[in-house]
Amino acid sequence: MFDFQTLIQLIVSGISVGMIYGVVAFGYQLTFATSKTLNFGQGEALMLGSLAGFTIMTQIGSIFGIPLPIAYVLMLPFVLIFGMAQGALVEWLGVRQAIKTKSEAGWIMATIALGIIFKNLAENIWGRDTFTFPNPLPEQAIQIMGIRILPMEVLIVCGAIALMAAVEMFNRRSIYGKAVVATAADIGAAGLMGVNTAQVITLSYALSSLTAAFAGVLVAPVTLTGAGLGSALGLKAFAVAIIGGLTSGVGVVVGGVLLGITDRLTGYYISTGYQDVPGLVLLLLVLSFKPSGLFGKSAIKKV
Amino acid sequence: MLTVENLVAGYGKVRVLQGISLDVQQGQLVTLIGSNGAGKTTTLRALSGMIKPDFGSIRIGGADITGLSSHEITRKGVAHSPEGRRVFPVLSVEDNLVMGAFTRLTGSRPKGDVKADLARMFDLFPRLAERRLQLAGTLSGGEQQMLAMARALMLNPEVLLLDEPSMGLAPKLVEEVFSTISRLKAAKVTMLLVEQFAAAALEVADYGYVLENGRIAASGPAERLKNDPAVKAAYLGAAH
Repeated sequence: MFDFQTLIQLIVSGISVGMIYGVVAFGYQLTFATSKTLNFGQGEALMLGSLAGFTIMTQIGSIFGIPLPIAYVLMLPFVLIFGMAQGALVEWLGVRQAIKTKSEAGWIMATIALGIIFKNLAENIWGRDTFTFPNPLPEQAIQIMGIRILPMEVLIVCGAIALMAAVEMFNRRSIYGKAVVATAADIGAAGLMGVNTAQVITLSYALSSLTAAFAGVLVAPVTLTGAGLGSALGLKAFAVAIIGGLTSGVGVVVGGVLLGITDRLTGYYISTGYQDVPGLVLLLLVLSFKPSGLFGKSAIKKV
Repeated sequence: MLTVENLVAGYGKVRVLQGISLDVQQGQLVTLIGSNGAGKTTTLRALSGMIKPDFGSIRIGGADITGLSSHEITRKGVAHSPEGRRVFPVLSVEDNLVMGAFTRLTGSRPKGDVKADLARMFDLFPRLAERRLQLAGTLSGGEQQMLAMARALMLNPEVLLLDEPSMGLAPKLVEEVFSTISRLKAAKVTMLLVEQFAAAALEVADYGYVLENGRIAASGPAERLKNDPAVKAAYLGAAH
């Protein structure tokens, strides 16, 4: 017999994981907007953020004996800065040269290679095993009409929305944000305004990895963390960016939630072995029938 | 103010400019005329760093700017209202103007009073004032041209490069553009104007250069060029 409550339960937990996909996909959009390039190591940026967050948080906790929720909050600025530095490094090592020489494919290989290097690095520092990330919020689920919601899941949704809103505010309100938007719209004309567009591209990589690192510390308390955390998430988020459209902010949220929910439903009703299939089928369908994405405006560049 | 010597530039292996020299004095309106493909736009693009010169030198107020990137050249006070207007379609009219003052707002050029300059632009181009919060992409061609000029002026430039401001506009709007240029000239804005409407350009300019196949074919005070039989025959036509 069909259990309606289970369905709702799956949808609710799908939403929170979908928001993570959305945030990481949002990160893909940030670099695509300014430079028409993507960081294929975005998943590894998420993984590194989560592991760096783990280390920072346990250090803060052990040295000062600070309670977990406070240690979590104190850890956030460090992880965000770490993410920015990591993203800037990726741009500097892997993307800048490709852009300068107008290489069509150089950045693809370079960002994939850097992702693999980061993964190996993480395996050597933190080991190959997965481990638990300390949960800053109560493990006890909140019950709403029989639906169980983890406090951390609520935080994921709120945090993801807050982060995207913050970047949006930066772009709309600050002069540097406007420079980013101008660079995305017309890089040559932005240069004529006196904007150092190479720096803007670096900034977009920094912000992109910042969002991934933030997603890493949001998701880790409800999953496990470890050097292998990134690959699957990065790929899923990439699918979301394509499904939602590389140019649409709403698209990644809708696309992320859509994929998060189909994942969960397939995992429960069919088999966890097929969990990844519907999302990827959706990806193929979108690529065939609406390559600019469900919400995208312009066609994406051949990759 | 702006001194160009023996400038050679082009795209890849194609050399468009074969070594041109020109001079724009402070407060002067100098026009560069010539037929399509003569290298007018390429000249401006080389001056503002959108392409790198292969050879020659460009100086602004004594400072050598040859080979600098466009953002560095902008910081030296060269404003370029480019071919095709290139306004930022996803930004509002006001934000486009604010972007024009980017260097002033971020400390790489003297700040002055950005707010007052915004108000001045809305005075100069009342149509833009009406559309202040509209996205630039929704403006008509004429309005976009006004916006591109106003945005360039927001730099408080040492020299303003104008690339075919009349292109694609209805005759009435062309007139409006030229009357705006006259007003800027009266306000002592130093300008280098590239134009297809040679007669109208020579009418407002102090000095003119005629560009032919990437070389300066003639130059002189606008008054004299206007009456030069060769220039008349080639660029002004009988109808003008």
